[in-house]
Amino acid sequence: MSETVTPTTVDDLRDAVLDRPGTIRVAGAGTAADWAGTPAPADSVLDLTGLSGIVTHNPGDMTVEVRAGTPFAQLQSELGEHHQRVAVDPARAAEGATLGGLFATADSGPRALQYGSLRDLVIGATIVLADGTVARSGGHVIKNVAGYDLTKVLHGAHGTLGVVAGLVLRLHPTPQATATVAVACDRGASADLARRIADSPAEAVAVQWHAGRLLAVVEGSESGAEARARRLAESVGGELLAPDDATAAWDAHAASVRHRGERAVLRFGVIPSALTGVLDGLDADTGGLDEVTTSPRTGVATVSVPADADVVAAAHRRIAEAGGTSTLRQRPAGAELPALGPAPAAATVLRAVAASLDPDQRLGRGRLAPWIPQPTGVSA
Amino acid sequence: MVDAAMVREFTDLLSENGVITDEVGLRSYECDGLTGFRQVPALVVLPRDAQEVAGAVRLCAKYGMPFVARGAGTGLSGGAMPVADGVVISLQKLRRILEIDVENRRAVLEPGVYNLEISKAAAPYGLYYAPDPSSQQVCTIGGNVAENSGGAHCLKYGFTTNHVLEMEVVLADGSVVTLGGPTGEQAGPDLRGLFIGSEGTLGVCTKVTVRLLQTPETVRTVLADFPSIEAAGDTVGDIVDAAIIPAAVEMMDSLAMEASEAATGAGLTVESPAALIIELDGPADEVEAEFEHLTAICERHGATRLHVPTEAEERQKVWKGRKAAFAAVGRISPDYIVQDGVVPRTRLAEVLTRIAEMGRDAGLRVANVFHAGDGNLHPLVLYSEAAGEHDVAEKLSTDIAELCVELGGSLSGEHGIGTDKACSMPAMFSEDDLGVMHRVRLAFDPDSRCNPGKLFPTPRLCGERPGKYQPHPLEEAGVIERL
Ligand SMILES: Cc1cc2nc3c(=O)[nH]c(=O)nc-3n(C[C@H](O)[C@H](O)[C@H](O)COP(=O)(O)OP(=O)(O)OC[C@H]3O[C@@H](n4cnc5c(N)ncnc54)[C@H](O)[C@@H]3O)c2cc1C
Repeated sequence: MSETVTPTTVDDLRDAVLDRPGTIRVAGAGTAADWAGTPAPADSVLDLTGLSGIVTHNPGDMTVEVRAGTPFAQLQSELGEHHQRVAVDPARAAEGATLGGLFATADSGPRALQYGSLRDLVIGATIVLADGTVARSGGHVIKNVAGYDLTKVLHGAHGTLGVVAGLVLRLHPTPQATATVAVACDRGASADLARRIADSPAEAVAVQWHAGRLLAVVEGSESGAEARARRLAESVGGELLAPDDATAAWDAHAASVRHRGERAVLRFGVIPSALTGVLDGLDADTGGLDEVTTSPRTGVATVSVPADADVVAAAHRRIAEAGGTSTLRQRPAGAELPALGPAPAAATVLRAVAASLDPDQRLGRGRLAPWIPQPTGVSA
Repeated sequence: MVDAAMVREFTDLLSENGVITDEVGLRSYECDGLTGFRQVPALVVLPRDAQEVAGAVRLCAKYGMPFVARGAGTGLSGGAMPVADGVVISLQKLRRILEIDVENRRAVLEPGVYNLEISKAAAPYGLYYAPDPSSQQVCTIGGNVAENSGGAHCLKYGFTTNHVLEMEVVLADGSVVTLGGPTGEQAGPDLRGLFIGSEGTLGVCTKVTVRLLQTPETVRTVLADFPSIEAAGDTVGDIVDAAIIPAAVEMMDSLAMEASEAATGAGLTVESPAALIIELDGPADEVEAEFEHLTAICERHGATRLHVPTEAEERQKVWKGRKAAFAAVGRISPDYIVQDGVVPRTRLAEVLTRIAEMGRDAGLRVANVFHAGDGNLHPLVLYSEAAGEHDVAEKLSTDIAELCVELGGSLSGEHGIGTDKACSMPAMFSEDDLGVMHRVRLAFDPDSRCNPGKLFPTPRLCGERPGKYQPHPLEEAGVIERL
């Protein structure tokens, strides 16, 4: 049985890491506990939800420093009072996911098309290593090239390498208005249609295909956003959704991304022009994908496949052969499924970084296996 | 040390033309844009493709030689300065644009491609590459990756790191890896982002895939004069508060304008204490509405003149007035040092007041031209080498950078740490912070043969005194301007 510790300060966190021998699993709100590799049994669980809240928010600088365990939705609503936001919209946010958890799992949503993911918006971090070292990188200014951008190493590290204690983020103004255009189209036709949207002057910040429709988001001023969305709708033969319908469409989209059933969920990215072909191939390999959402302009898709190790491995392989990368994003209870595709050449670097930052592999053991293989023999 | 057998091996790999051993040839690689720091390398090699780069790095590994990757040598922090008894691996022959992929809006490039060439190649398709360092005509994408370079338009669009998807990198042992992926979605940790801005200390980049953006529908620019630096600073604050994100917001003080106007005749008001150049871009209706709002904010803060260029040509002229300011400072001072610190934008007025005081105390003038939108200062410390002011100027410049850190900012916004600021790193980072960076460095390069002596403070380096700043030869020739 592992013991859970809930630090409330960075010092607490460091002490917890130092005082506890053995392996540690880092946990946020638990909304992605079944993502990536199956965690090895850990001696302790480090619950970061106690490390919560905004440290400093400088509206005039459009930056905020936040403790890692802060629920993302709460952060957004506090920033919203100042008409500011973190310009990412991952589906998990609504379930209470923490900022640190979203960062560690490299989660992002439809607006990644325009704003990138958290990796693009984080400008500084405080991290705690397995040996108790507390280190900062980056800072509080948007523009900063002093030293290595260490923060990036923990983006997508799934609780390995180090513990993210806090992050400094670049903020954007909340747009005055948002409008969604929907165009009925099947998956095969979505690539061309999405390109027409991208080529138009509408400057859509998100373009997603889901459930037989392409959804495009236009943001801007009170008058501007709607007018642009209307013109876009006309030019591509779609309709401007009424606010309630838009909310419903995006809720359904998020529910699909968060599909919680007996199937495994994969998130992957390939060069956009290869997306349709890869999806068709996966359909054939897996006996039919389900809960498909795609971002035709970025080449990213989330799909569900049967929770079968061979099927999942074959899917990873097909994506890798197309030059893409994929991560397991839901592992039904009890299923042992490959979390990642074939290890790339860069896995050697990853292992070297892991050996340097966490030589005993105390943190997040198993999460990035086999790219970071579990040590054989006795546990630490 | 270089011996004949080693040179022969490099020559076998790269041909006679690919290896420089003569004194004169070596000397032309002795510094980058920070010309006060010089070191003649033992050997310069010029591979023609990625395989040859890997081969050259492997030979360096075999002989235990340190090496420095070099793009165009326009860096301003001594990053590409050679190391004693080391090899310079020049990427200048890797200059092919491998692909402009219109459908997927990306370009695949060899590292020696000049920044501006990317946008030129993409322009026929209505696309461009966003990061625009003012050295863009002559700096390479490989150098941009290593420095995480920025430019005037990075306020809205982000820096190099936000635009690079994938890279091929040769590690110190000669092995080749791909960092990043075809989309922003990567499995596992973002090693791509770690490599970007690592100043050549983690490996040699041999191929880069960047995102291309659609050329904006509308661009609007205003040159606004203000009765004081504070009024200009407050204007920037109100623009931010109005939720407007301009493509660029640049500020100049009167000293900088005096120099620039004399050099360019761009139409700057020399008597004005401060001016802003603000540019908006995006969908036509949004831009027009925001532009109206913007000019109202300028007027509210007592703008004494609003010049709105309507033709592209006129706009270029205004930008020339801004971009030429650095080099033009040579007209009002025999020597100068350019600084690159960053402060949180809300502390601009405070830092400028403090800099003015520090300049007065040191008995030196400081001109200011900078990226006001993101708080990235470029104070120009004016001095005379002949009058023996060098050491005072150097100290003032370092103090300004460290003041930026004290005010919650950074030592460098875009020019990098390199050799120049390595000794100031402890002002910004603790021993533990630097220790962790160093552990990462050793994971990539266990023998520290990749650009050693840069970025990290070392006793040897920090005991030395740098020489004076001299304009880059290309700058003197008027080919590039300093932003
Ligand atoms: C007049 C002038 C104006 C400037 N304006 C700006 C500006 O507006 N914004 C800005 O950000 N910078 C600016 N700079 C600085 C400089 O142009 C940038 O840092 C640029 O990115 C350097 O590119 P380069 O090809 O000259 O690199 P170099 O100077 O040759 O090298 C810079 C660093 O990159 C490393 N490096 C180069 N190529 C590679 C590679 N392929 N793989 C790994 N490491 C590599 C080198 O080892 C070195 O550490 C300016 C410089 C000058 C002289």
